[in-house]
Amino acid sequence: MEYVSSLVLIAVSAAFINNFVLYYSVGICPYLGVSRRVDMAFGMGCAVTFVISIAACLSWALTVFVLRPGAPLATWVWHWLRPDSAGVVDLSILNYLVYIFVIASSVQFVEMYLRKFFPPLYKSFGIYLPLITTNCAILFACLEIMKHVSGVPAAQLWDLGRALALAAFGGVGFTIAIVLMAGMREDLDLCDVPQALRGPGIALIVAGILAMAFMGFTGVDRNLAALLR
Amino acid sequence: MRNNYLVEAWLVIVLGVVFGGALAGVQATLADRIAQNKLDETRSQIPALVPGASKEASSEVEVDGVRVFRASSPEGQLGWVIPCGGQGFADRIELLVGVDLRVERITGLYVLEQKETPGLGAKIMDERLFRSQFAGKTAARSLVVTKQGAKTDREIDAITGATISSMAVCSIVNETLARVRDGLLAALPKE
Amino acid sequence: MSQTQTPANASAADRGPTAAERFINGILPENPTYRQMLGMCPTLAITNGMRSAMTMAAAVLFVLVCANAMISLIRGLLKPHLRILVFTLTIAAFVTIVDRLLAAYMYDMSKQLGPYVPLIIVNCIIISRCEVCAAKQSLPIAIADAVGQSLGFALALASIATIREILGAGTWFGLRVLPAAWPAWVIMVLPPGAFITLGLLMGSVNWFLARRQEARG
Repeated sequence: MEYVSSLVLIAVSAAFINNFVLYYSVGICPYLGVSRRVDMAFGMGCAVTFVISIAACLSWALTVFVLRPGAPLATWVWHWLRPDSAGVVDLSILNYLVYIFVIASSVQFVEMYLRKFFPPLYKSFGIYLPLITTNCAILFACLEIMKHVSGVPAAQLWDLGRALALAAFGGVGFTIAIVLMAGMREDLDLCDVPQALRGPGIALIVAGILAMAFMGFTGVDRNLAALLR
Repeated sequence: MRNNYLVEAWLVIVLGVVFGGALAGVQATLADRIAQNKLDETRSQIPALVPGASKEASSEVEVDGVRVFRASSPEGQLGWVIPCGGQGFADRIELLVGVDLRVERITGLYVLEQKETPGLGAKIMDERLFRSQFAGKTAARSLVVTKQGAKTDREIDAITGATISSMAVCSIVNETLARVRDGLLAALPKE
Repeated sequence: MSQTQTPANASAADRGPTAAERFINGILPENPTYRQMLGMCPTLAITNGMRSAMTMAAAVLFVLVCANAMISLIRGLLKPHLRILVFTLTIAAFVTIVDRLLAAYMYDMSKQLGPYVPLIIVNCIIISRCEVCAAKQSLPIAIADAVGQSLGFALALASIATIREILGAGTWFGLRVLPAAWPAWVIMVLPPGAFITLGLLMGSVNWFLARRQEARG
């Protein structure tokens, strides 16, 4: 039960309190670029959630088993090569390279999958699907997981469930933010926005007001934790 | 076809090896310095938290599974510095508490990390506004937060508009001291 | 190749922009933040103080110059469908180096910038410059382009960070510039302030450019 409550807290925190877009300001480029229509925004949000989850699982596995200081697989291979060496095997310098390759591969995989099974959806995405590789939110999720997995004592190591909760619900939070924004921009199209502010200008101001609204979620996890205890 | 891909990928493979080597070199050169920075972060606060103690003479021990520092001067141990943390208003707060040798009085408080509201809860980092009042308070009984002005050695003045952050700091200190007091007393250097 | 066949006085457009043109363009006309709208994530996240903004600008300068230089040196060897992979590999390596350098020599700033330094890897500015300039032009031009774009980026970051820090904390680079009686607009150093400041600044830039366009007729 304590495990489930910790998952709930991580999920609520990632989706609402520390929303990837509105609190951490990651994933802004697609957020401004694809939020003109609700259906496209929702599609982008789902794609990002899907890719984040895959990338998070793979990067968690690689970090825990190969990259972090004292990782089991790396230590096993090193001791097999040099049986009498002491010291901790630490491949964590390669973290960022590995993460970006994992993300690029995940996006490739999703692209191939969509092209084979959902061709019209694939066509409607156009250029935006490969651009998910440069979506900061995905790399950010991997980095957040790395914080709880690399260089922490064994008792505090995050398991796959927690990592997946953070990543998947971070994607859900991104989807919520982008759909809200798309809804508002659809209405803004009918308003008389000053010429200079049209496009990204008014979108950023609206995002700022949305971020202020989401600030109201601060402290929800503290009370939720007390409730779940 | 397969042969073609491998031939075309030779640049990627070569670059991978070159960069891997370069990064290994960076790791070898900088790793010690970075580890030292991480340690120093806590150690450099020891002289401020336990008056008279020095960074070099102090050592780290484990008491009841908790990492603590013996705050010492060249003449001997003067007190303890205990890293601790807990939930604040917005996110986790990480603290350093300094206590005297017999865990009777708090000698200092330092905030390592906090994500409280800037301008309000973040004032817990301020020495003058909040932290300085911890020096001299009792470590034997739990601290309480008051808004009317602290009078006894158990009371801490809350920051205006940041009661929850102030209470969080006190409860972290209370919980930690209660947990490690017996272990610290048992680990005192023998006279 | 067209470069060996065109006479010496051929137009610059045949050979691409010169180093000086690349440098000047990067600062204002093709400013990465205000004109190209790339690299938004650090622009919003770390501009709550001038110190962190300038450290980030310096890190981006390092990575952009090194990546552009490297890609320009190997531009003859790039295969079309593997070039993005090569760009990414190069950028990730240099970002790791700058991240470790910051952790070693500026530890407090490294902790403050947190995950945003590794996020330089997916910063669209760098990949875009590698693609548009470094993969096609020679080393001096690539470096000039990198320096110009980084200066433009630093200028954009400074404009936002100045407003946010002065209004939000009354300081600039940590030095107090407004009297202590100024009620700090805390919202400015929080994420909403970032969004709104950038939105209003973008509006101002667009308005200014439109006016200049009108004045030219």
